[in-house]
Amino acid sequence: MSKVVGIDLGTTNSLVAFVRNGAPEVIGDESGDRLLPSVVSIDAGGTVFVGREAQRRLLTDPSRTAYSAKRFMGRGIEDVAGEAKWFPFGVSGLAGGVVHLHLGDRDLTPPEISGFILRELKRRAEAFFASEGDIDPEVAAAVITVPAYFNDAQRTATRDAGRLAGLEVLRIINEPTAACLAYGLNQRREGTVAVYDLGGGTFDISILRIEEGVFQVLSTNGDTRLGGDDIDRLLIEWANADLGLDPSTDAEAVQAVRKAAIQAKWDLSEFGETEIRVDSVPGRKGGYSRPVTRADFERLIAPVVERTLRPCRLALEDAGLGPDQIDEVVLVGGSTRIPMVRREVAALFGREPQTDLNPDEVVALGAAVQADILVTGRREMLLLDVTPLSLGIETMGGITSKIILRNSTIPASGSEMFTTFVDNQTAVDIHIVQGERELVSDNRSLGRFKLSGIPPMPAGLPRIQVRFQIDANGILSVSARELRTDIEQAIDVKPSYGLTDDEVERMLLESFEHAQEDIDARMLIEVRNEAETLIAATDKTLRRPDFTEIASTMLAPGEVPVIQAALAELRAVMGSADRELIQGRASALNQATQHLAEVVMNWTVQRALAGRDADEVHAKGR
Amino acid sequence: MTSETSAVPVQPCRHCGTHAPVSVHFCPRCEKILTLGRHGDYFRFFGLPRRLDLDQRDLEQRFRALSRQFHPDYYHNASPAERLASLERSSYLNDAFRTLRDPIGRLEYLLRLEGFAPKQSRDATAQVPAGLLEEVFELNEELEAIQDMRLEGAGAGLIAVRLEQARQPVEAKLDEHNRRLADLGRTHDAQLDAGDDEARTTTLATLRTLLLERTYLTNLLSTIRREMSGEDPAGA
Repeated sequence: MSKVVGIDLGTTNSLVAFVRNGAPEVIGDESGDRLLPSVVSIDAGGTVFVGREAQRRLLTDPSRTAYSAKRFMGRGIEDVAGEAKWFPFGVSGLAGGVVHLHLGDRDLTPPEISGFILRELKRRAEAFFASEGDIDPEVAAAVITVPAYFNDAQRTATRDAGRLAGLEVLRIINEPTAACLAYGLNQRREGTVAVYDLGGGTFDISILRIEEGVFQVLSTNGDTRLGGDDIDRLLIEWANADLGLDPSTDAEAVQAVRKAAIQAKWDLSEFGETEIRVDSVPGRKGGYSRPVTRADFERLIAPVVERTLRPCRLALEDAGLGPDQIDEVVLVGGSTRIPMVRREVAALFGREPQTDLNPDEVVALGAAVQADILVTGRREMLLLDVTPLSLGIETMGGITSKIILRNSTIPASGSEMFTTFVDNQTAVDIHIVQGERELVSDNRSLGRFKLSGIPPMPAGLPRIQVRFQIDANGILSVSARELRTDIEQAIDVKPSYGLTDDEVERMLLESFEHAQEDIDARMLIEVRNEAETLIAATDKTLRRPDFTEIASTMLAPGEVPVIQAALAELRAVMGSADRELIQGRASALNQATQHLAEVVMNWTVQRALAGRDADEVHAKGR
Repeated sequence: MTSETSAVPVQPCRHCGTHAPVSVHFCPRCEKILTLGRHGDYFRFFGLPRRLDLDQRDLEQRFRALSRQFHPDYYHNASPAERLASLERSSYLNDAFRTLRDPIGRLEYLLRLEGFAPKQSRDATAQVPAGLLEEVFELNEELEAIQDMRLEGAGAGLIAVRLEQARQPVEAKLDEHNRRLADLGRTHDAQLDAGDDEARTTTLATLRTLLLERTYLTNLLSTIRREMSGEDPAGA
């Protein structure tokens, strides 16, 4: 049977996990790396790179490299206008439509970028299952996590990304809930838990009640534009000001600074002081370094941390609980490694938070558990989540009429009656919104539809019941029925910030066209990895303390210079995108070192035997 | 109770055609999850009598047990009809639980079921309930006085004290209503158990009046709270 996995599609890193013998585990890549940087880069030749390789290209080809694409999911250009200038790639879109990211001459929507990341995770998992000797290593379906505070458009965009990656999305689940599932599995406790999830780009707080294996979310709150990225940006702004850098013109330098700033942020979780250090700033003479103490850092980020506390209080209020009624606080997301975050959370809830599980991995583990539940149908655990935002429709005067309230357990449904205003009117326009505000214009527009096919009747006589159904993914569907005639009405919702089914279909076709390029990219990376391994191994041999002795006694004269030349030639082409060139020089080096490898092997074996003899002699002598 | 059970409407199982009462969730013959019937109610769905005094723990346990039976997680590989039935039944269960676990929500729902639906009185211009005329008159006078103080430039602290004074009687009235509603709820349950429908009808009518007054009181309180938090000071 084909495999089912759990995926944490993160702002900064993404992971894939699966359940083996009842326990979830994260799947690493061929070299054991468990985090896939959520970075996608497309070179001038159209080759797509994902993960570490794309992250490296962020420093050399930033305008063709996309990171933090999750921040753009399900959003319009007017939502992202403020932050777009921070990114090295171009961002555009028509007002009230989907945004597009420009990577060179490729024009991609956020679901397409996320689709590349998901496809890479799918490939990674399939390679793993194949290496385990599985006869059917194909990964056909996945549970994918999203921030709890994601709205309908953002969830739908995530589902579209899964489709584009060739995955059946079994379920979209919320990140904090997934984390709680992983924790609950570990500990089998009962009680009330608060999950504080500060990731790369989003913040969530969820309050859950765990009883008899049912994980019931009582309330959730958050901010889908608050995370580690915002902390990085504060440090980057600092350094940019020192260096007089402008993100729009000094993209490479800003990326170098960004990398250094992130390193400094990590350092400060362990040490009292560090520096933001760039050895050589692209486009500038020399390097840059600026000392930062933890106290400086905390002053800088205090407003960001403070912004997470209000949603926590609101979530408590909605759950009808005080901080003292929380039995356990769980921290999720890389940004919760920051000591100040831990301190503030501990102060708010009056207890030390739990950090037993790796905050980077716990969400993927929970997603794998949920995937396992869906496939096996085992019933000892059940997750009951809520919808984070109220759902409503526009009524007279631009007022929102709420139909499903926030924090309603999902699946949830609601209905509303409509009628006509004019005789023989056969259609009614309906506007669906999500949010807590009174005015429609302050809430999020989800979509519009025309309720058509109403039988001609005098005004006010038709009774059309429109039913809104939020499924277990937190995604809305709408149906309608004219009650007098009992005729089901046709509905075609035009999403405000999403892709239509036709658009997703077209993108799928396009991705098949690019499939060859993607395979090329994968092969290039593999060849490069092999070459790197070969270089490292050769280097290691050449640097052995006993190498001169080996060379003088066991190698032919002139053999060493040949090896050194082959090594230098391979090194020179490592940055190239020409796969065959790298492969050619790698096999040249391989050939040049073949004899050396044998010699070293024999040498080592002899030494080992000699050493054992010596030990034995020594032992006998005692 | 027996007379009620016999009145339960039935519906056919989409899978095998067996007729089952709407209060049953799974087909008695083929054991498939049943499509949600249109004629049930929240109480029947939970297998509970239409009582106002409910054991909260018992309700929660029933909710969890039913969730484990219907949740879409467990129908992932089932037929489309079963998947739809699971989705609808779960949605209905979640709605039912949300309504019944809240005493006021439960009362409103029961009144609607029994044909005593309180008229929707969402807008602020709703008529003052007759039982509250005196309190509302006094409160309005007080609020006007506070408004005058504000216009004369009185300090925020002083106004806050006066608003607090205005709030207390309304709060006390609300507490009294909550108590009376709870007492009357128990009366209703006793009449239900005794099968005394005539007395129960009178009780339901009184409950409706009290509930309307209570809604009015909570609206008044939120107006005062808005004034106290300084939002919309010129409003109302």
